[in-house]
Amino acid sequence: MVLRTKQEYLIRYKDGNLYCELADIWIDPSKPVKKALITHAHFDHFTFGCEEYISTNETAILLKERIGDNIKIKTFEYGEEFKINGINISFHPSGHILGSSQIRFIFAEEKWLISGDFKLQKDETCKRYEIVKTDYLISECTFGLPIFKWDESNKIANDISKWITNSPEKSSLLFCYSLGKAQRLLNEISKTNFKGNIYSHGSIHKMNNSYKKLGIDIKDTIKIENKKKIDELKGSLILLPPSLSKGSYLKNFKNIQTAFASGWMSIRALRKRSGYDKGFPISDHADWDGILEVVKKSEAKNVFFHHGDSEALSKFLVENESINVLFFGK
Amino acid sequence: MSLKNFSELFVELDSSNSINNKIEVLKNYFLSNDPIDNSWAIYLLTGKSNKRFISGRYLKNLFSQIYEYPEWLIDTCYLKVGDSAEVITLLLKNKSTPRKKKLSNISLNELLSKTIPDLSKLNEEEKNLQIKNLWEKLPEDNHLIFNKILTGTFRIGVSIGLITKSISKQINIDEEIISHRLMGNFEPSIDSYEFLINKNINLQELNSKPFPFLLANTIEDKIFKHSINDFQFEWKYDGIRMQLIKRSGNVSLWTRGQELVNESFPELVEKISHIKDDFVLDGELLVWNFKEQIAFDFSLLQKRINRKSPTRSIQIKYPIIFIAYDLLEINGRDIREIKLENRRIELEKYFSKWQNKNDNNISDIFKISDLIYPKDWPDALTYKEKSRENNTEGLIIKKKTSIYSSGRKKGFWWKYKVDPMQLDAVLIYAKGGSGRRAGLYTDYSFALWKDQELIKFASAYSGLTNIEIKELDKWIRKNTIEKFGPIRSLKPEMVFEISFEKIQISKRHKSGIAVRFPRITKWRKDKNINDADSLENAYELMKKIS
Repeated sequence: MVLRTKQEYLIRYKDGNLYCELADIWIDPSKPVKKALITHAHFDHFTFGCEEYISTNETAILLKERIGDNIKIKTFEYGEEFKINGINISFHPSGHILGSSQIRFIFAEEKWLISGDFKLQKDETCKRYEIVKTDYLISECTFGLPIFKWDESNKIANDISKWITNSPEKSSLLFCYSLGKAQRLLNEISKTNFKGNIYSHGSIHKMNNSYKKLGIDIKDTIKIENKKKIDELKGSLILLPPSLSKGSYLKNFKNIQTAFASGWMSIRALRKRSGYDKGFPISDHADWDGILEVVKKSEAKNVFFHHGDSEALSKFLVENESINVLFFGK
Repeated sequence: MSLKNFSELFVELDSSNSINNKIEVLKNYFLSNDPIDNSWAIYLLTGKSNKRFISGRYLKNLFSQIYEYPEWLIDTCYLKVGDSAEVITLLLKNKSTPRKKKLSNISLNELLSKTIPDLSKLNEEEKNLQIKNLWEKLPEDNHLIFNKILTGTFRIGVSIGLITKSISKQINIDEEIISHRLMGNFEPSIDSYEFLINKNINLQELNSKPFPFLLANTIEDKIFKHSINDFQFEWKYDGIRMQLIKRSGNVSLWTRGQELVNESFPELVEKISHIKDDFVLDGELLVWNFKEQIAFDFSLLQKRINRKSPTRSIQIKYPIIFIAYDLLEINGRDIREIKLENRRIELEKYFSKWQNKNDNNISDIFKISDLIYPKDWPDALTYKEKSRENNTEGLIIKKKTSIYSSGRKKGFWWKYKVDPMQLDAVLIYAKGGSGRRAGLYTDYSFALWKDQELIKFASAYSGLTNIEIKELDKWIRKNTIEKFGPIRSLKPEMVFEISFEKIQISKRHKSGIAVRFPRITKWRKDKNINDADSLENAYELMKKIS
């Protein structure tokens, strides 16, 4: 393989976003563009106002839920190839949330794979990560340190169940991302001993319904109203988005305990600093082993990392595997 | 009754922000575990076990060696986590080590009285092997506690006060009594725990109880309208506030935080025990410069506070003094309800009586506060401004007719503190914090101008709000010029107001000056770096003070 300058890479960084010049197409752009490939429907992976979006069917439905019905969006099945300017493009499951995908580009017999956000762990609310072979891999590395090692999700769900039932006098407020994490937690918690009521905030409730429409089995929850009787909430679980954890919203409740479900909660200092009573380390991103496994199984000879601290991971790969770690530069 | 229960206790205490909840959790733990494990738990939770069996560095090297793990990678993780014991715990999780027959039922007692102390009997190779063994045998949930005890870094947000409260609640006995029982060399044993929860109080315990402290308020403008003669003036010392109690021959020395500190200051306790009268005195403990008759810096006092049973040489190196400023009880008579001016007369009367006993020279460790007599309020201000010369923080003003009440009662005592010294300086370096601040850049270095150059003059890490810390952290990451390990040099762009207590010449620093207690008091976003102060300004400040 010949060494090339940054400008010659099929996919490169432009204005802080991934961009394929040959197809004039952007991946998860943070500003309005002509053509945007969307890996999944989290707010930091799409923006309003693009002329055209391209995604999987599930992502499209979730996107419309968030942006509105009047967007122009083209959808493809997982594995279905389509062509833009002679480049073969296809979506593959990334296991992050419902509809989430890796995107593969093939051009002149050279394969590029954008991992999107991904995890390898079991999650019944979305398709499992699919190993895709590639020459170039652009991988996320949100949790790119070996201190991150996820527990099985059923263990975390049992911990959550215990946390609630140990404080029957309290309302247990669990903060989690409204799309993906909330549904995964509901799915796991429904299998535990906790049989009390579960309430969810409007934003989460809406996503639950979208999942259900897409055929995912999600436990029914009660949409939380501002004027719920306090006694009614005793001993129950209330799912809220993290944005409500600071500010006056919590004044609607009395006698509460709070927790945050996030991979970052595996570090004590972060847990303490977060201000929640408790942290449940569960993530929809890959841990260190997960990233290494994907790098290896993809058989990529060249890897780029983005999203996160990539220094340690890069150095480790260079020292331990015969993998070339490349940098886009900004 | 196992290490497992204690690990669970740790998790529960660690994940609760509610004091009442923590007390409840502790109470339940004590009720459901063996006395011997309970006494070990108290020993650990009160921080009496800071013995380090191996260092954090050793732990990291050992892990690196056993599992062939690059040291740089462990160090990188450390920067994120801020605690060696925790880093290794997290990394152990990632090593799918072969799990041998599990030591899941090892008791806290066995681990602490045998397994860990026995390590020091082994040679290095055997020790390493044994630690590896224990890592593999102990259930994963217990690794953190184990590693923390090994490295002597077991610390948790549980104060002695909380333990005291939970035991007090469990057996329905006043906190002061429990506090008294917890003092001293608490040796973990069944007996020491049973003594702690004994429902019968002996007389000596009752006799040691301090009175609630009366605290000073910040000065209010309205007091300047009153006659200066209505008030008593004293220097405000920067020491430890204490009540010195002698009743029925027993001396107890209590801090304002309800801590009994007899053991830290045995020479004082010894001297006081020879005085014939019984009394309760309120005053300040200081490390004293006997030659110049002023207090040494608080930093020297810190060398004494946390050191139990100080050696003779420590006692000589850091000589202490107790300065009494109030008499609350004399020979069994509670005099807190009489006026301050009369209490002062009693205090002076008794002190001179004690002082004149030839066989017990107390003045090398005990005196009463000097009174100051300003002519008028402007004169009081002059005194206040002079307070730095004798290493005090300003003045304490007390109403002569006030009784000794409790708490921050309005209209009794006031503090009139001297303003801090300040300079505007430029942020030039940042370093990652540890512990709770791990993963954020929270230790900063500041510089002043010297001609066209910025010269480092102080480091500070306190004073910013959490929101400001996060904002600054973001800025630091974007404006790094160079990285040296955990330190980043930064684009000179941000100006901060730095306050400090003292400024003096120092040959050790490139700037030629050293400041005491530097802290950030304002983020001067309104200033650009050319508005920052120069070293010359600092020298001028120094001249003005001295």
